Amino acid sequence: MKRLVIFILSLFTLSFAKAQIAIDTLSTEALNNLLIEQVERLAEDSDEDIDYEDLLENYIFFSENPVNLNSEEVMQLVELRLLTVFQYEELQKYRRYYGDFLFLDELEMVEGFDEPTIAIIRPVVCIEKDQSKDKITLNKMARYGKHQIVGRYEQILEKQQGYLPIDDSTLLAKPNSRYLGSPQKYQLKYTYNYRNKVRAGFVLEKDAGEMFFTDKVSDTIQKLLGSQYHRGFDFVGFHLYAKDMGIVKAAVLGDYQLAYGQGLTLWSGMSFGKAGAGSSVMKQGRGITPKGSASEYAFMRGAAVTLGAGPFSGTVFYSNRLVDANVSVADTLESEAEFVSSLQETGYHRTIGELQDRHAIRQQVVGGHLAFAIAHFEVGYTAHHTWLSVPLELKPSHYNQFYFQGQRLTNQGIDFKYVKGKYAVFGELAMSYNNKAKVVEPVETPTLTQTALRRAQGPAYAGLVGLTVKPAGYLNFTIMYRDYGKAYQNLMSNAFGEGSRNQGQQGIYLGVEAAPAPYWNILAYADQFQFTWLTSQVNAPSRGHDYYLRISHSFNKRANAYLQFRSKTKMKNSTDAFVFSHYPIIYTKNAVRFNINYQIGRDFHGSNKAEYAHYYNEDGSNEHGYFLCQDIAYKPEYKPYSLSFRYAIFDAKDYNARIYAYESDVLYSFSVPALYGKGMRIYLLGKVKLFNALTLYARIGRTIYSDRDEIGNGLTLIEENHKTDIKIEMIWKM
Amino acid sequence: MKKLLFLLILILSTSSIFAYDIVHPIGGRAAAMGGSSVASQGLWAMQNNPAGMANLEKISLGLYYENRWLLPETAYKCGAFALPTKFGTLGLSFNQFGSSKYNENKFGLAYAKDFGRYLQIGLQLDYLLLKIGNDYGKFSAVTFELGLQSHITDKLTLGTYIFNPVNFSFEQTLNHEKLPIVMRFGLDYQFTKDFIGQCEIEKDTEREGVSLRGGLEYEAIKNLYIRAGVQTNPGILSFGLGYAIRFAQINVAAQLHNELGASIQIGMIFSIGK
Repeated sequence: MKRLVIFILSLFTLSFAKAQIAIDTLSTEALNNLLIEQVERLAEDSDEDIDYEDLLENYIFFSENPVNLNSEEVMQLVELRLLTVFQYEELQKYRRYYGDFLFLDELEMVEGFDEPTIAIIRPVVCIEKDQSKDKITLNKMARYGKHQIVGRYEQILEKQQGYLPIDDSTLLAKPNSRYLGSPQKYQLKYTYNYRNKVRAGFVLEKDAGEMFFTDKVSDTIQKLLGSQYHRGFDFVGFHLYAKDMGIVKAAVLGDYQLAYGQGLTLWSGMSFGKAGAGSSVMKQGRGITPKGSASEYAFMRGAAVTLGAGPFSGTVFYSNRLVDANVSVADTLESEAEFVSSLQETGYHRTIGELQDRHAIRQQVVGGHLAFAIAHFEVGYTAHHTWLSVPLELKPSHYNQFYFQGQRLTNQGIDFKYVKGKYAVFGELAMSYNNKAKVVEPVETPTLTQTALRRAQGPAYAGLVGLTVKPAGYLNFTIMYRDYGKAYQNLMSNAFGEGSRNQGQQGIYLGVEAAPAPYWNILAYADQFQFTWLTSQVNAPSRGHDYYLRISHSFNKRANAYLQFRSKTKMKNSTDAFVFSHYPIIYTKNAVRFNINYQIGRDFHGSNKAEYAHYYNEDGSNEHGYFLCQDIAYKPEYKPYSLSFRYAIFDAKDYNARIYAYESDVLYSFSVPALYGKGMRIYLLGKVKLFNALTLYARIGRTIYSDRDEIGNGLTLIEENHKTDIKIEMIWKM
Repeated sequence: MKKLLFLLILILSTSSIFAYDIVHPIGGRAAAMGGSSVASQGLWAMQNNPAGMANLEKISLGLYYENRWLLPETAYKCGAFALPTKFGTLGLSFNQFGSSKYNENKFGLAYAKDFGRYLQIGLQLDYLLLKIGNDYGKFSAVTFELGLQSHITDKLTLGTYIFNPVNFSFEQTLNHEKLPIVMRFGLDYQFTKDFIGQCEIEKDTEREGVSLRGGLEYEAIKNLYIRAGVQTNPGILSFGLGYAIRFAQINVAAQLHNELGASIQIGMIFSIGK
């Protein structure tokens, strides 16, 4: 015990003395641009709000804690899709022939490592002697561990409808017409890292509209909420993680993510999905990773451990956490039974309704993964069982007939991967079994609910298989087939697919990546898919395709540009008011984008982007969207400050022709606003390193509309033509 | 002729926007190259992207006349004067579009400076005056234009230009007319010493869609330039010739629109100095 106290005390004192290597001096430009492109594509692909932080925290982590080129850790770059499996193989081959890397410049001599690849991975690799076998001692951990504290505040300055004053009786009559808390968002995060081997941390968060310590509501509201009344930080998480300690390959306590195989059976966090297309559609499961972000929905909370010996490794995990759900009580003749009609995924607890759903039920997951890996071949088996404390009974509808309902769900799957020479073959076969508590007997004329309950139970299958061929160093080609059964249910999958559900979908994907000439790169894919059952707002089985082409060119080390085309055709119910039955019609969205990044002199960076989007459907709607922007960043070398600025104009009549544009943000934060309407968007981002350990970021952005006098609707309505957002962040590193 | 006039009236009356045509590529060279000019240098850069006059070497005076669709009522006149100093280039300009019944005027005071080889920045302060005959009155506005250019490589130049970036509008209006924001960016690429290609994109917030422009210039004989270009929204093909001697240059252009016919542009620049 005493040793522990000394350890903790010394953690905080000794590490002051440790000199820091400034990461800022490394150019992360190429890595940033790669992530920006992927994040933009991800935003375009999904209609929901995405928590990019969870997805990107690993990239940032490695840019601050580079992996050692002379160790097995490099595999983590493949897991993050910064390197292809082929490049990884070449790297290992190089090390076998020529021994450990002595200089980073040696990378240029490795087969398959062109300039762009090196520019991307440079900030996330370093060269050290392989220390993975070194013993970890408390003394070393205290002396060489890195601590970091990040505090952030953000707010929208204009008054939104949800924050306007209201009297109690009106609020009680319409309980969800106001946010109970203040409009500020706060987040505080602490992390500790010792050589990427031992990591720990916690995170506290309060979203805008959630009640903080200083917020007050009247007694009646408090009484109404009862035990659901909650003030202070809405989200609290922590993790404790260690890896490579003897036979314990990884162990975690607290919040974590699991990712295995191709993500069809178990991939608890976010993934780039189609966004990271190209040869990288083959996923590389990261196994256990600690979760330090404040994203509130998709993660595990509990404990997990991976043991490994020789070619075998095994993982067991248990997760137990409270999730948001809308609990109702069904008054049947026999008894009163509780059920939930939906699981809330937003993580917001701002209104009375949202607070009432907060942490309403308990979700427990138990499972494991077994893997066998030899030189070029890997096979794994994953199984997990989910148990909800209250059964899920969805509001009956035709499209959700095969969705998960009930209380218990079992998933299992086998994944494999074979990478050798010019070929990589991969695949996963998964099965779900819905162990419903009560079996519904067939009825002669069943109601929608009854058929749904019947359909949702029993076994169902899903599978995908793919092949990547690399005929030459500058070319690779991928083909992948997927077939996810319409009753395949999984609350924790995240495999390749169209839309967010790995259910009721078939598709073929073809992708090619080529460097036909020096400084030229082409990435193209075509994905054709079918939905075998109805989906939300699509009243029939439907089909579609997604084509993508990007041609990029580097003029020199200071300037690069790309031209991108995207065309996506899908189906959606007709909204024509004169049609009686809402049958699905075809819609298409085409988008063309030109982007150029360049360095101006030594200290300035510039970037321009022009995008055109065109949406049309069979109802005759025809919408165009335009976006133009100029970015200027002033990043003087060897100076402790930098500034970035954007000026953009946009003109998109409707949401359908909206344009997503990535914006620079404070560190660890990401914004990709969807712009539509007509107007301009500006922001200014500043960074200053006050002294070695403390860095301050501030950002102010404003969108000004020229075609409207009010923005948003419902609780987020602003009765002005502009919206201003500010963010201030403080990072303390030692 | 009647048909033309009708079309013209239609165009002018359907757009509720004044100061609509005043932001328009100026110069015989720009006109011949489909209007692309945001990454060009020279005196007329004052109107097209003020950053482009930062490296002007000689005191210059320019006159420009455009006869759109060959109608006297849609004449566009422009005069500009630039004075290079050691603090940067100063400029004065006057533009007028229209006739005595309806005219748009712009008075500009410009300044441009280069920050090394890689960056040129330009600014023009504008006073806009709109006059409509028959006692409808005069309307004025104050705004500014910003531009920057960067020579990324020996061959590639990029330019960005924004007119009215903070969305100023007329002090008084007849019918809630808005002053547009106009943003352009594009590039100039020197394929060989005597062959140049340019392209750019323009968005005018008070107009549907964007306009794409591209042009080529070839120095066929020493000092004699042949040019051609194309522009979308409105769709126009353009051609032109230019001749330059030590103290003067003259550029002529013709633009062809499918429905509205031809327009003629003439620009002259006189310069003094070494």
